[in-house]
Order: sequence, then C-alpha cells, then structure tokens
Amino acid sequence: MQSEHGSLCDESSFNNFYATYLQAASNFAFYKSGDKASAMDIIQEAFVKVWENCAKIDPSKAKTYLFTTINNTFLNVVKHQKVVLNYVKTASYMDRTNQDPAYIMEENEFKQKLQNAIADLDDKEREVFLLSRVEGKKYREIAELLDISQKTVEKRMSLALKKLRAKIEGL
Amino acid sequence: MDKEKDILKWFNGELSEEEIKNLQASEGFDTFEKIRFYSEQFDVPKRDVAASLEDFKQNYRSKVIKEKAPETNVRKLNFAMFYKVAAAVVLLVTLSYFMFSNNMYTLETSVAQNKQITLPDGSEVTLNAGSKLAYNKSSWENERNLELEGEAFFKVEKGEKFTVQMDEEAVQVLGTQFNIKDRENYFDVQCFEGKVRVTYTSGETILTKGKAFRMLKGKKGYVYDIVDEKPSWIQKESSFNEVPLSEVIEELARQYDIVIKTDDVDTSQLYTGTFTHTNKELALQSVAIPLRMEYKINENEVIFYHNGGK
Repeated sequence: MQSEHGSLCDESSFNNFYATYLQAASNFAFYKSGDKASAMDIIQEAFVKVWENCAKIDPSKAKTYLFTTINNTFLNVVKHQKVVLNYVKTASYMDRTNQDPAYIMEENEFKQKLQNAIADLDDKEREVFLLSRVEGKKYREIAELLDISQKTVEKRMSLALKKLRAKIEGL
Repeated sequence: MDKEKDILKWFNGELSEEEIKNLQASEGFDTFEKIRFYSEQFDVPKRDVAASLEDFKQNYRSKVIKEKAPETNVRKLNFAMFYKVAAAVVLLVTLSYFMFSNNMYTLETSVAQNKQITLPDGSEVTLNAGSKLAYNKSSWENERNLELEGEAFFKVEKGEKFTVQMDEEAVQVLGTQFNIKDRENYFDVQCFEGKVRVTYTSGETILTKGKAFRMLKGKKGYVYDIVDEKPSWIQKESSFNEVPLSEVIEELARQYDIVIKTDDVDTSQLYTGTFTHTNKELALQSVAIPLRMEYKINENEVIFYHNGGK
C-alpha cells in the first residue's frame, strides 16, 4: 500500500514519516519552548523514541505518539524561556494603503501587545492558540494531535481568546 | 454564551460571511478581528528536512541502531518456530479481544526508565521506574479511575472525582498535583497542590498542600511535611527522609538496573539523603558514606558492607 502506512521500522517509511512531520513537530516544540535550538533537540529525541519503538507503534498512531512524546518532554524536564514569536510579514491591518504615521504606530503597538499577551498565556492555551492560528489547524485536528478531547481544545482556545482580549484592551 | 461559541467557530473558519456580519456589533469584535489577522503572521523556524534527517541519523539514531543490531540476526524458519508464532498470534488475538472489549489502556515502565502520558482529560502522569498504570478508556468520561502499581506523579486537571486505586489504598482528588509511591512494604503520598484524600485499610487521611503521608508495612501511618514543589525523581534524583535502608536499596536497584546485596548491614536503619539517577558511583557513595558503609561492584551486582576496621 502507501508507504506512509508501512511499518515504521522500514527505513524508507520512516524517512517518509520524518519528512512529513518534521516541520509540524518543530513548530509544536517551538510553541512550547520558544527556543529554536532546544526545540530541535527535543524533536530529534522524540523521533528516536518513534524509531526505537517502531515495532510497537501502530503506523496510524505514530503522529500522535510523536506529539505526545514531545508534549511529555515539556511536562517537567525542560525549563523553557518566555515564548515570544516574531511576525514574518509586515502587512498592516485592513487599510493597507494607509501610511499615516499615527496609524502605523498604533498598529505596531497592537502587534507588540499581542506578542506579549501570547507570551503570558499558559503553555496549553498558547499551544492550542498557535496551532489554530499559525497553522490553521481545526480544533478537531488539534484534539487528535494532542490526544485530548475537542471540548478541551475549545475550552483552552476560548480561555486564550478571553485572556488576549483582556490584556490587549487593558481590561 | 452563544456569542462565545460563535467567536470560537469564527476562529475555526466555520462561520459564513453573513454570520460574521452579525457578530460585528458585539463587544470586543474589533480586538478579536485584529488578533485573528496578526496571529496568522507569526514566524516559526523553518527546518531543512534533508539536513535534519542527516543529523538525526548521525547524532541521534546511531546509538539506537547499535543496540538493535543483535535482534536482526537471521533466524531459520522451522516448524517449531511456526507453532510458536501461531500460538503467540492466538494468544495476542485473545488478549487484545479482552483488552479492547473493556478498553483498558496500560502503561508500564521497566527498571531505569520513566514514562509520561497525558490522559484524555488533559491530566498528566509521570511514571517512575518499575511501575504500571492502567485505566479504562471507554468509561473515562464518566469516572476518572486509574490503577497504579509503583510510583507516579500526577497533575490532575480540575473536574469530577479522580481516583487512583492501589492494592489496598485509594487516593481521591478533584484537581491537584501529587505523588504516589506504592511499593511492597512502603506506601507514600505527597501532596504538592490542592487536597488529596488517602483511604487505606485502617483509616483515612486528608492531605493539604505541603503535607505527605507515609505507611511502612505493619506499622501505623503518619503525616509529615514536605518543602519541595515536585517529587525529587522528576529531577532525576531520589530523596529520602528517615526511610529504612531496605527501601533506599530497592530504589537504587530500580533506577540503575542492578542487583544489590548487603553483608552484615542493618537494612532497617533509617536513611536521610538524596541520590542522583545519572551517575551510579556517585549515587552509591551518597547512600554508603552517611551510613558508614563500603561497597564493591562486580559487574551488575553491588554489595554494601561494613569496613571491619572501624
């Protein structure tokens, strides 16, 4: 059948698996640690776990296994720094032709506030929020990825939004 | 609130233009709209698959491959082997039938190994070496029940009653952090947050934050204070406060996968101290020196003894 469904102990299936999920795993670890280098180390170790247990892991569950392993690494072991993400694009909101300096300043201030508010979220809320926003994942997909219920995902997202709004509006 | 649900749906891309328009009048809409817009623009480190995979093979996986190599020896296929495999398959099918019919999920650690899982409600469990945890996946939504043999650290999400059942004892909580150590002759619960109810054959105790309960086989249980925020083994150490040497030795054996014997040493004497999980020599010294013992290592066996001179 498709190579993705072959045993993970098979070199080419594993390479395929690695290539498919490397970026997603890296993003996930990054949302949690905020540190590029340590995030990479953690995902490599997680892939080692997948390789070590390749015979025991059902290929259809391998993705969940990978993410759970990364998640668990952060439970207690990794002390992480404040997660501050940077913006990639410089697009401004709505009125993209408006070059009024006051407007631009206001927008920059908003972006700054948003960065800080995200950094202040609980880890679990931040990871759900960023998986949803940066990667455009549906709540259902996030639930599957983290092996938690969709209800829990929605609860965390809802909390995250509430906190972000309160921080930004200075409520 | 319905509005809250709508906002969730909106962020999940489930609202139509029409429905978004209806939401526009609601409080905080502008802020949410901007959050939506800007949060899509975050940058994440891009990974080069080929380079990462090379690094993975060179620096991470190479170790594992060496360990795995002996397993891949060529085996001759014969009929005895065939029957063995057939029997194993039958056993496996039968077992999995029973396992899936009541949907039990089991997690086990061998010696010198820790494992961590997230339960369906988001609660987190870290399992120390030589321990076993089981729960029923299908009934989890209705009742949060777990079975434990050994030692584990729990971070429980708030919700309905959460029960950890051991052979003779049970621990119940609502949402909190605690550690349970249930070994043959030793039972210990430490509460790091919230409240924990401990039920055992002869009674019941409620622990609050910073309190712990310990019971040695055949003795009365007692409550004592803890200062740490997490059990020490999470930080790859084992700490003991006036614990019989026999328990300490068992933990050493579990963490390092070694056999420990004693020669003319009183194993009921109490030990207070800490040993690391990452350096065997250092760990052995940490236990031996305070109790004025010496030790010898023969491959996988360690003997604690007293120096005759003093």
